[in-house]
Amino acid sequence: MRKFLIAAAVIVIAVLASIAATVGGALGPLFNGVRSLAEFYLLNVFNPHNQTLTAMSPEAVTSIVWDYRGLDTLFETVVFYMAIIGCVSLHRGIELIRKRSEAGLSRIVKTVTKILIPLNIVIAASIALHGHLTPGGGFQAGAAMAVAPIIVIVVFSRFFLLRKGVTKEVALSLRSMGLLGIALVALIPLIAWVTTGSAAYVMQNQVKADSSFSFPAYIGGSLVSGSLIWYNIFEFLAVTFGFTIVFLLLSVDEETVRKVLGGEEHE
Amino acid sequence: MVDLTMVLLAVFAGIALFFAYLAISERNLVRALIYSAVQSSAFAFIFYLLRAPDIVLVYVPISVGIYPAAILFLIRKTKEVEEP
Repeated sequence: MRKFLIAAAVIVIAVLASIAATVGGALGPLFNGVRSLAEFYLLNVFNPHNQTLTAMSPEAVTSIVWDYRGLDTLFETVVFYMAIIGCVSLHRGIELIRKRSEAGLSRIVKTVTKILIPLNIVIAASIALHGHLTPGGGFQAGAAMAVAPIIVIVVFSRFFLLRKGVTKEVALSLRSMGLLGIALVALIPLIAWVTTGSAAYVMQNQVKADSSFSFPAYIGGSLVSGSLIWYNIFEFLAVTFGFTIVFLLLSVDEETVRKVLGGEEHE
Repeated sequence: MVDLTMVLLAVFAGIALFFAYLAISERNLVRALIYSAVQSSAFAFIFYLLRAPDIVLVYVPISVGIYPAAILFLIRKTKEVEEP
């Protein structure tokens, strides 16, 4: 009874607080027009008439994430990278053996999964490749794509994924390729600076006031928004295979992990 | 002032609060995880109502797929029922 009273009190306080914050106006008016910062981005994210401030992408969020605030996202990617490295080094010495195994859920579930996995891949690829045009982007697409290996591990077992060639080594190298791609796209302006001698900035996308370097905004007539599409594709690779490694390692049963990590005294 | 968005926001926030309480008070970890996933799904709707489709796109696979799967794998490595 006492527990129930506490819960009821918490709910009443939360409801009153949210009414005060929204309808009562305790936090100031919500949904009240466009703020000046938002106005700047809405005006400039796709503005061919103002080449020095535009990101040439109609998607404001991706423009901010990978162009205006690109370094923040770079460091976020590094944090994610370190987390995966931590997981991999915790599971060091564990070999993911490939063996023939018919483990997994029933035939009905397997058939449904076989139909759904290609759809998942198509949706994830479309989120990544349209990340500079519609809501979405590299991390969103990577998270959507990472669901596919998880479902395969749960429905078909880890050995099926390993037999299909998605091993820890393959996933690690594809993820490293994604990260190297991000670093390369960030450093291409530097290469342009060395070769042509005109000023350029790290993670630069379009021309700036004192720099003539620019990624091509259009390729073959279609809008690619300069560096944004490349960042999205490489982030997609890095996130997808980062999650895949974690789930491959997490699916190893605890006895094996303890045996390898415990060392001699536990054997 | 009180429009449909506000009402829906309140409804989904209420659902999230209720399931958060259930997730905390539940001793069976698998059930607690399912309550927590329902709470995350309610948050995804809230993000959609707040017009943040970018966050929704990352929140749906994380809250419905990756987060429950990761915790389920971890629960399998420990005990299913929390001891008092």
